[in-house]
Amino acid sequence: MSFPNVSADLIWEVTRNQNAFLVKRKTTGGLRFSRDPYNLANVHSRKHAGFVNEKAVGVVPNEKGGVQVITKKAGAGNKPLTGRYTVTYGGNKSARKTYKNIATQTAKSGYRADLRQTAVARASAIRKSQRPVKASPEKKLRGNAAKKAAAEN
Amino acid sequence: MSQRPTVTIIGADGKATGATEVLPKVFGAPIRPDIVKHVHTGMAKNKRQPYSVSEKAGHQTSAESWGTGRAVARIPRVSGGGTHRAGQAAFGNMCRSGRMFAPTKIWRKWHVKINQGQKRFATASALAASAVAPLLMARGHQVATVPEVPLVVDSASFSNAAYAKTSAALGLLEAVGAGDDIAKVKGSKKLRAGKGKLRGRRHRQRRGPLVVYSPEVDGSELVKGFRNIPGVETCPVESLNLLQLAPGGHLGRFVIWTSAAIKQLDSVYESKKGFFVPSNVVSQSDLTRLINSSEIQSVLNGPKGVARTKRGNVQKKNPLKNKQIMLRQNPYAATYIKENLGSVKAEKAGAKRVPASFKVLLNEV
Repeated sequence: MSFPNVSADLIWEVTRNQNAFLVKRKTTGGLRFSRDPYNLANVHSRKHAGFVNEKAVGVVPNEKGGVQVITKKAGAGNKPLTGRYTVTYGGNKSARKTYKNIATQTAKSGYRADLRQTAVARASAIRKSQRPVKASPEKKLRGNAAKKAAAEN
Repeated sequence: MSQRPTVTIIGADGKATGATEVLPKVFGAPIRPDIVKHVHTGMAKNKRQPYSVSEKAGHQTSAESWGTGRAVARIPRVSGGGTHRAGQAAFGNMCRSGRMFAPTKIWRKWHVKINQGQKRFATASALAASAVAPLLMARGHQVATVPEVPLVVDSASFSNAAYAKTSAALGLLEAVGAGDDIAKVKGSKKLRAGKGKLRGRRHRQRRGPLVVYSPEVDGSELVKGFRNIPGVETCPVESLNLLQLAPGGHLGRFVIWTSAAIKQLDSVYESKKGFFVPSNVVSQSDLTRLINSSEIQSVLNGPKGVARTKRGNVQKKNPLKNKQIMLRQNPYAATYIKENLGSVKAEKAGAKRVPASFKVLLNEV
């Protein structure tokens, strides 16, 4: 932050009621979500509001499979282009190695230890979504009436 | 504030020129969404066109009340016969074809006076907010490709009316990383809901970057170059407007400055008589730093009460089977185990044998 009139706490107070990432709908029963790429849990809260915080971690799907981990460089808040650090873990890298690296990147060296578990969980969910969907087995016919009806057709 | 922060000046190719500029004082103004919102609400009202219903609406009939005794309401009724309209109630706001309640007048109070000091405060606050990247993102601007906020472009590239043509202007915006924001505006154009469509407000779209320039140095040919790019607005640095700096009353407009404009900003504020850039009530707004500061920590009391581990939602253990649980719950258990009291036979204080003489006495032998 360039001037001392600004801090993450102030930005949060300014943006907590309304911001471009916030999703609030009646259908969600009053829950507030966030579309912020630096938000690991998609939840609108101070802890997860990555665009506000000086240090933030985001896990986003990689185009060619796997995940990309984006982090903010502390102190480069006003330099959006260069203040972003991206690491790609491709889809062929083993899940264990991916998670281990994400956990290290998130929590080691005093970055955001509180987000370690969420970051790994998000990476896991993204990887799961990239796996091919297994076709569900054909439905078995139940009862004689149904079998008879099927035979007639 | 001992040292004022600086900003890098970006060339027309989007690369840093190496030159820097000290940020004008106004960027250190307090960020006050409440004041900005209030001033914006007032200012937005000052461009309204008066409207009203026709003076004659609902009164173009010669209706008279029938008075009492006809078993109908005393509302004026249209006179005559031979048509359905005859005998129908008229004038009242509850009547079909009647006038509205309190017909609107063109002499409504359309304009709102806002104190000049408040207006200047709000503008200063909006300017300060335009230098905070997270606030720009929160407003919805696409600034991920922007090298630095506030974005300052070298005025040298504006010389000789270089951006009088839209294609050149668009090229500049894309080179400095504002292309994403313009693409967002372009994709956002939607047909307006409601009657506004018929009243010259057919479409609605997002706002893009605001280009602030210095007319003396940069010339004003660039206005023509930028004006047809969707969402982009231009503004001379002497006449910064809150409606452009905080559209909708929301802080954090994406502003592209020319280096001459940012250089001029300090003198623009110095020339405002009797106005000083507002100062911050707190010099440190970072709560974590405040709490962890040695000044605060040194006067805090230690935690009250005894050290105790709260056992949360744990499985209940059987103390009869689990020795550690037994030791925790039963203060006597330790002694009991140590002295092996469990296997000590209780001393039998059994009944004494009856003496033989007593049995003889009872004739039992």
